[in-house]
Formats: sequence, C-alpha cells, structure tokens
Amino acid sequence: MYPRPFHYHRAGSLPEAATMLSQLGDDAKLLAGGQSLIPLMKLRFANPSHLVDLNFVPGTSYINEQNGAVRFGALTRHSEIENSSIGVRFPILHDCAAGIADVQIRNRGTIGGSLAEADPSGDWAAVLLTQKTEIWCLSPRRERSVPLTDFITDAYTTVLEHDELVREISVEVPGKGTGGAYLAFKRSAPVYPTASAAVQITMEGDICKDAHLVLGCVGLVPVRATAAADALRDRRIDDKSVAAAMDAVREAVDPQADMRGSAEYKRTLAAALVKRAIEVAVRRARGERVEVSHIYA
Amino acid sequence: MSGNGQKWVGKAVPRKEEERLLRGLGKFADDIKLHETLYLRFVRSPYAHAKIANISTAEAEKIPGVVCTLTGAEIASQTQPFIEIAPDAGGKIRDYPLAVSKVRYQGEPVAAVVAMSAAIADDGAEAVQVDYEALDPVVDAEQALTDASILHEDAGTNKVWNGVFEYGDVEKAFREAASVVEIDRMHFHRFSSTPLENNVVIGQWDPKDERIYYWCNNSFPSFAIQFLAAHLNVHIDRIRVQTFDIGGSFGIKITSYPQMAVCALASKKAGGRPIKWVETRSEHMTSSAHGNERTFRDTRVALDENGVITALTSRHIDDCGAYPRYEPLGCVIWSQVFPGVYRFKNARIDFSQAVTNKCPVGPNRGYSRMQHLWFLERVVDICAHELGIPADEMRLRNYIRPQEFPYTTPNGCVYDSGNYPKMLDLAKGLIGWDAWKKKQAEARKQGRMVGIGIGTTLDSGTNNFGQSQIVNPGAPFSGNSQGANCKLDIYGEVVVAVGSCPQGQGHETTAAQVVADVLNITPDLVTVRTGFDTERNVHTGFSGTYASQFAVSGLSAVHGAAQKLKAEMIRLGAHVLESKPEDLDFGIGGQGPEIRSKSNGKSINYWGLANIVNVNSAVLPPELYEVTLNCRYIWRAPFKVPDIKKKYGNLTMTYASQLHIAVVEVDRDTLIPKILDYVAIDDCGTVINPPIVEGQVYGATAHGIGAALLENCVYDEVGNMLTSTFSDYIPITAMNMPNVKYGHIETPSPHSYSGAKGMGEGGAAPIHTISAALQDALFDKGVFIQDSFNNADSLFRALHGEIGQTAKLVKVERRVGSKA
Ligand SMILES: Cc1cc2nc3c(=O)[nH]c(=O)nc-3n(C[C@H](O)[C@H](O)[C@H](O)COP(=O)(O)OP(=O)(O)OC[C@H]3O[C@@H](n4cnc5c(N)ncnc54)[C@H](O)[C@@H]3O)c2cc1C
Repeated sequence: MYPRPFHYHRAGSLPEAATMLSQLGDDAKLLAGGQSLIPLMKLRFANPSHLVDLNFVPGTSYINEQNGAVRFGALTRHSEIENSSIGVRFPILHDCAAGIADVQIRNRGTIGGSLAEADPSGDWAAVLLTQKTEIWCLSPRRERSVPLTDFITDAYTTVLEHDELVREISVEVPGKGTGGAYLAFKRSAPVYPTASAAVQITMEGDICKDAHLVLGCVGLVPVRATAAADALRDRRIDDKSVAAAMDAVREAVDPQADMRGSAEYKRTLAAALVKRAIEVAVRRARGERVEVSHIYA
Repeated sequence: MSGNGQKWVGKAVPRKEEERLLRGLGKFADDIKLHETLYLRFVRSPYAHAKIANISTAEAEKIPGVVCTLTGAEIASQTQPFIEIAPDAGGKIRDYPLAVSKVRYQGEPVAAVVAMSAAIADDGAEAVQVDYEALDPVVDAEQALTDASILHEDAGTNKVWNGVFEYGDVEKAFREAASVVEIDRMHFHRFSSTPLENNVVIGQWDPKDERIYYWCNNSFPSFAIQFLAAHLNVHIDRIRVQTFDIGGSFGIKITSYPQMAVCALASKKAGGRPIKWVETRSEHMTSSAHGNERTFRDTRVALDENGVITALTSRHIDDCGAYPRYEPLGCVIWSQVFPGVYRFKNARIDFSQAVTNKCPVGPNRGYSRMQHLWFLERVVDICAHELGIPADEMRLRNYIRPQEFPYTTPNGCVYDSGNYPKMLDLAKGLIGWDAWKKKQAEARKQGRMVGIGIGTTLDSGTNNFGQSQIVNPGAPFSGNSQGANCKLDIYGEVVVAVGSCPQGQGHETTAAQVVADVLNITPDLVTVRTGFDTERNVHTGFSGTYASQFAVSGLSAVHGAAQKLKAEMIRLGAHVLESKPEDLDFGIGGQGPEIRSKSNGKSINYWGLANIVNVNSAVLPPELYEVTLNCRYIWRAPFKVPDIKKKYGNLTMTYASQLHIAVVEVDRDTLIPKILDYVAIDDCGTVINPPIVEGQVYGATAHGIGAALLENCVYDEVGNMLTSTFSDYIPITAMNMPNVKYGHIETPSPHSYSGAKGMGEGGAAPIHTISAALQDALFDKGVFIQDSFNNADSLFRALHGEIGQTAKLVKVERRVGSKA
C-alpha cells in the first residue's frame, strides 16, 4: 500500500507545470486532487517516476460567469462546486458535484482531474456532455480550446498531449425554458455509480424543443443517446415518447458486466434513470425548483 | 453516605471507554511503537490453485533496507504444521502460514519480506519472483466434494468432515404428513465483517529470554497461542500476548494466528527485532477470513393439516475455503440452534464441509448458526407461501410456546427462556402491521412489488466446548470458563481485570457496574483493565471476546472475583472495626469508599484496608495473613460432555432471541430493493446496560442489512476474487441504513447469575427478514428467494427467469386430508 519511489515537483504556475512535463518526459504525471492517481499508485497500478503537483499554483480554483458561460478553474474541487451559488441556477451541476463519492473525496477531487482522467464511470464528463462545454488546454507550445465532445476519445484517454494540461472548463449557461437533471444509482457513497443519466431538455409549452441525453458508466466513454433525444424532440413529453426514449437508451448503451451488475441489468437501469431524469428536467425547465439525490442501495 | 444501595446493573451508565475512543485517544496495536521495529510485507499468490515451481528472493534481498526474507519451505523445515481440529482425512491437512509447495487460494502468502520501513518492504515484496504452474481450481463446495481436483494431497479428499444429525422418527412423520414441501437448492452467501481496523501483529522472538512476545489485535488470544505453541515448538506458557483497544473483530480476527507465526519466525531470523505487520484492506478482503458459505440441498419438509412442521430432512454442505483453521467446529456449532425457534421434533440433517480454492473462513458474527437459522426461516416462509398461510400465523403455529421454557431441543440443547409470540406482537405493533398489509394490497393493485417479512432468530451464547468432541472425539476441550481478578490495589484503588479483549462491547462499563453493585459504590470508582495480557493472570484456555458470552462468562467471573474480595474485606474489616461481620456496611463516606460498622459507628476506607495488608502489616494477626485483597476467580460453566454418538447434549448456556420485521419494495423500473420500514425486537434476558444493548442491536442490524443487500465475497470460476476493494465489496454505510425502530422484552435467563444472556451477534436477523420480505414481494411472480444475498441485479435476473424460479426449485405434495 505504498507507491514505488518517485520524484516530487511543485509547480508555481500552469505554464511552468507544462514545461516540467515536457522536460521530465513520459514518466511524469500531474497531481491534482490525487483521488484517482494516488489510489492507483498505492496499488502500484500506476508508477510514475515524477509527480508535478498543481495544488500550489495560485488562481486555479475559481467559478465565475462571463459572457453567458460558467468558467471553472481546473483545480476547482467538487465540493466548491457543490457549495457554490451556481448550483441554484444551474442545478444539474449541483446534482453532479454533490453526488460524487463522499465528503473527503469531494474536498480533494477536482473537475479538471476528473475530465483529464476520463474514467468511464466519472460523473463530470457525462453531465457536461449535455451542455456546451469547452476545455481550455495549455502546453508549452500553445493554448487551445477543445469541445468536450472531442476531448475524450476512449476510456481513460483524451486528446491531451503528454505535456498539455487542462487550464479551464467553460460551460454555456442554458437559457430560459430549459432544465437539466443528473441521476445515478450508487451502491454506496464512496463507489462509482452503477449507471447514471444526464438530461438537458428545452421546453416550449408542452413540446420538447431540444434534448440532450448522456448515460454514464455504460460504455467506454459516456454514451450520447442521440436517438433517444430524437424520440423526444418536437414531441410532447408523455408516457409514449418517454418509453420510446427509454427503448433508444437501451439500444444505445454498451455496458460491461462487473460487480455492479450484469450488462442486461445495466441497460434496464440506464433506461429507468433516464425516465426519472427527464421528469425532473422537465419540471426544472418549467421553472420549478426540484432537489434530487442519487439513488443509494 | 452515597452508594446507598443503589443498583447499577440495569442502568444506562455512560460508557467509561467512550471519552477515550471518541476523542481519538484509544490505543490500538498499530499505535505501539517499539525500538528497532522492522516491517513485514507478504508476497501473495495471484493464482487460486497452483504448484509453486520456484521462488527467488535474491532480487528482493539486494534492495537497500531489506533485512531478510522468509519462504514457506524455510518455515516448514523448522515448524510443525498447525493443529487440525478435524479427525480422519481432514486432520491430515498440512497447514503452514506460508504456502510450501502449492497455493490454494488467491492471496495466499507465499513469502514474506522484512525491511527497515513498510515502504521498502513493499518494494521488496514486488521484487520476489515466484513461478507457478496453474492447477484446476475448485470454487464450489458441492463440486469440491466430487474430488475431481484435490486441494490437499495429504488428506486425499476435499471433504473435511461429514456427520448425520438425526433425531425423532423422521420416516413416520413423513408417512403421516398432510403435505410435503421439497426444495431443491438454497445457498447462503459468503460475506465478511470489514472491521475498521485491519489485522495488526507485532511479534518478537526475544533471544534474551527465549520467549515470544505479541502486541496485536487477535480477538481470541488463548486459542491463538494453543495453535502457535504447537506450530513453533515453544511451550505455550512462554508466549505472551497483549491486546489493546481493538477496532472491531466480529470474530474475523480470531484466525490471525498464521500471520502471528510468521512475525515470530521473521523476528527470530532478524536477530530478535520486533516485526510489525499491518494488514492492508485488500489483504483483509482477500486473505484474512470470510464467513462460512453454505449450500442446502434436497430439503424435504413434512407438515400436518394445520401447517405445523412435523419433520425436516436436508443435506448441508459448508464451504470452509482453502484451510479449515477454526473449522470444522462450524459443523457442530450450527446445531446449538438445531430447530431454531420452532417445535418440530423429527429431523435428519446430513452435514458436510469441503475445502475450496477460496479464502479460508473464520468465525464471523452469527457464526455457523445464522446460516442454519436463515435456512429454517426460508423453509418456514416458503411452506407458508405454498400452503397459503400468512407469515405471522405460520410462525405462531410453529414457535416454541412461552410456557415450554426451559425447552429441550431434539438434540438436547436447553433453551433457557424466551417468548417469541410476545416479540411478534410487539414488532407488529411497532411497525403497524395491519396498516402495512392494507398499503401492500393497494400497492399490489398498482403493480408495485411490496413485501413484508418476518425473521425470528437466536443468538446462542457461552459455548460448551465439549461440542468439539462431536466433530472430533479426540478433542481435548469441554465446558467453558473465564477468569477475572478483583483487588484493592496497594493503595486502595478498586481494580478489576478480565480475560476479554473487547472491540466496542463496553466491557469496562459493564464490569464496573457489576463490581459497584457488589461493593455498593459507584462505577466511576472502579478501574477496569481490559485488553488481553497473558501476564495479567486472568485468562483461561477460553478467554477472549467471541461467541456472545461476556455478559455471562465474563461478568460471572467478575462477579465471582468481586464477591471473593468482598468476603476478604469483611474479614479484615470485622477485625479492624471490632465488629461482627454482619454489622458491617459497604458504601461511600467522606473519605471515599469504605466499610463502616453499624454497631459502633467506626469506619475504615479502602486506602486504610489496603494499607494494613500491604504497608502496615505488623498490625495484622497471623490468622489474617492469608487475606491479600487481591482475588482471582475462575468461573466455570456448568456443562457436561455431550453424548458424542447421539450428538446429544446442551451446547450453549443462553439463548437471546431477535425478531425483526421489514417492509421492502422492489422498484419496478430499477429493481432496486428499498426498505420502507424496519423493526428490530431483542430479548437478551436481564439487560445490564440498555444503551450498550441497543448499540449492539443497531450494529448487528446494520451488519445484517449489509449482508442481505450489499456485501458479497465473489469469486469468478477460476478463483479470482472480484471483491477485494471497497469499490466492489460494499460495506454498509449510514446512507444505506433505514430508520430502525427498536423494541425489547426481557425474559431473564435462569442459567446465568444475573438473568442476562449473551447478545453480541444478533443472529443475523436482517438477512432472514429481508429474504422473507423479498419472497413476499415476489412470490406471485414465480420467484423463489433462493440465496441469502439479493440485490437489484439478482432480482432483475430472477424476474427474467434466469435464477430462483419457484416452479423449478420447489415442489409441493398435498395429500388427502390436508386443509391447506
Ligand atoms: C473512493 C473513491 C470514489 C470515487 N467516486 C467517484 C464518483 O462516484 N464519481 C466520480 O466522478 N469520481 C469519483 N472518484 C474520483 C474523483 O472524482 C477524482 O477526484 C477524479 O476522478 C480525479 O480528480 P483528481 O483531481 O483527484 O485527479 P488526480 O487523481 O490528481 O489525477 C487524475 C489524472 O488526471 C491527471 N490530471 C489531473 N489534473 C489535470 C489537469 N489539470 N490537466 C491534465 N491532467 C490532469 C493526472 O495526471 C492523473 O493522470 C472517486 C474517487 C475515489 C478515491
């Protein structure tokens, strides 16, 4: 339960961290909250020779709103998002942040680390894929922004180059008449969900004008259920259209059997979660304040 | 004068240990820092079953800071294999603390590395190279019994033990039955206890005095040293074991003696330096101990026309993992509760135990009885459903009646006291039975799956170790005993020591309550030394904390020692105060606790008494020289050796009972079972400290709910353990707990001096109760709750016809004359 020996480097700024990565080579890794990396190192599944610690870089943890977008510093902790006022107007962010693991992990883990880790069970990617999300990345050579839809390419894999880091995450604030919700089934707080569903819906009267549905933990990357969204778009949200969306979700997901459940069960679960998330999202789109919590076994 | 006859036993005295433990001031084994300590890490097998072709430790030994390594072959050359409790073939198993020529479960230690720091020991362990040749693994006990692949060549079979327990006239009862229910297969799953503190051992083989010293958290040290002494070829009295605060055991820490052995041998090799081993959570999950898994085959139940069970036959196969260790004691311990809470007199149970390529089992809260009680509750429940008798009614018809206590079971156990119908009544009242029945009926109309289940169980406490002779006639154990010492210390402090090693059970408090009552003082004036120490002179061969017995064995010993002290104090006091013994009063005066004379008003406090004996002894007349005010008492349970041939005799002293009711809904969309309401009723006879009892009930309830819905040790078909971390094995947390409504009744035990019964295990009542509730919810869907572990995924598969199909697993034969 002790990692292999490694060298520790403390970065003073993000550009310095990127430079360190490029100088130290492939065997160097960034350390943010450490809530994914440190357990892997203790199990000796990950054995970097160098750690570049971002925790002492000033000005990397913030939440601010500019030009219709919320911007998160890469090192903003899950708990800071959970407890910020942004959750009131943008409740799906609160659904996500408040449901990650337990208090200790939320106090350490960061939104940037979560997206960079690209764990198939990570919550942030599933939720932010229902939004217009840009990832601002920095390397010694350039700064660029990548839409989240292009950022994660496979399980545990992103477009980040070896010496490139996440600086900021920018999420467009949804307009009026739209609502989102995120629900997961978790066997207990400190474990990843069995399946999760993120939904963002725009309503015009009784008609769904736009919908984004993303399922977590049921594929190598979060599954964007476009056919399910099509089943809702320009329709009334009723038993029939929701059933069609659920069918489409069952089709779209590609779960693996593991200790959390069989593949067949996860399909059923993902569809059931989508149904509930739609209910909440529609109510929120109508301006209702609805508090939700994940389902715990 | 306070201490005016007020009794403390039965009062909600706040726990003496609370302050220390809640403020983080407890002292646990890992808190012990000894000079020159070295750290040990095990190299563990990735295979479930394989030959060890070669072990190379050379690379590890080159790492700076690595002091030495140890392999199984090295250990085998200087030790005896551990004692086996089994007779015959099972007794031929050769169990060493490091695998010698083959490995038999994933996680089995094959070598150890000793280093200057724990981190270096980890580096060293990684550098040890082991070549394996894979063998066929056996992960199912029934399959193991076919002996297709044998784990222990010395034994020649995977069967550790087999015996038939038969009582009454089974054939006649089946001939006369109005209906017969047959159940093909049921299965009680493997789970464990996940104490907050893992196993910790510091061991030192000191060359200066050729003694072995342990600072550890083993929870049954007097058992461990018997195994260690024979294994290490050391006289048992040369081993000293000390325990401190222990962060939970639930029985799982009883079987840490193999790791204790390795630490001693490593210390010897390292020149006598202390060796510390602190288990990691993954090690704990893969290789400390799991609870027993059991399969129930070919069960047949005979019932009369009223649904009263008249006979039962069944074949039970227990899976003890790779090495028996504490087993095959579990092969008889279940029979402490042979008929459960029911009246049937005729039964035949064919019981076998097999080794498999999985982690060895160890006693786990509810040990061996809960598997059997779960089986009986499933039987009662499925019969009730099949015959259309309501669950509560079925139980009332079959329960042992209150007026039948003390009740002798078909196998000779004597249930001391109890009142199951009264508990059922109380539970139904607390949960609002009738209202829930109505709500259930409405919910069903809407297609919702809501079930109400009852679980009635026993927590048998204070074993007759003579039952070991039923599994092995040569076993040298019988009865039960516990030691305690009560003294006025040199300057008069009242000090009690007990041979127990509590893990949160509040022994400091309850022991102080007992002594306070004897001396008519307050519990805060009594210092209780808990934690085991062979040097404290209060242990017997049965001392430790396990098997729900402290309230009976521990407190009886404390009570006996306090009585002895009081008698000495009276002799001394009568002399000093120039009074007759019957004129002396015990209490608290202006100068602390004292004895005073009613006839002349003179008094002497405890300091004065102790002073006379210890520092002012010239004033003592020679006839009082034998007074030491330092009184050791050994309590012995009044047991007889059971009839080994007939497997008949009283196996336990007290029988606490639990009755739980759960209302559970299986969500139609997600299949997630949710507890809507929960009641736990407990009867442990006379309650010594109500909040401590209530705490044990909540703890056992949480543990049982976890086991029923979340906690499952899973192996794949080649013996990989799939639940070695808390991401996959889900110990219950507060977020998973329903609100538990607690109630209790008291039927004092006629078998214990205080009327109290042991109650720490709780009979795993929630497992039976939740199975029953799920059965009730899903019976009309054709689902048979066949397994003790159920979660959303398994319920999904049952509802999709993949598992647990009543039509396939349960048969009912209704004969002429049957009303049901
Ligand atoms: C017991 C437990 C339960 C958990 N449960 C959940 C859960 O239910 N849902 C969930 O979503 N998460 C869960 N997590 C993970 C948690 O949210 C982590 O915080 C998150 O996945 C990683 O963030 P971090 O800041 O801790 O990253 P770290 O562990 O520090 O880093 C993770 C990886 O990302 C890289 N990295 C970090 N920051 C950056 C950056 N700015 N730019 C580029 N690369 C970077 C690191 O080099 C590393 O490879 C759990 C963790 C634990 C230990």
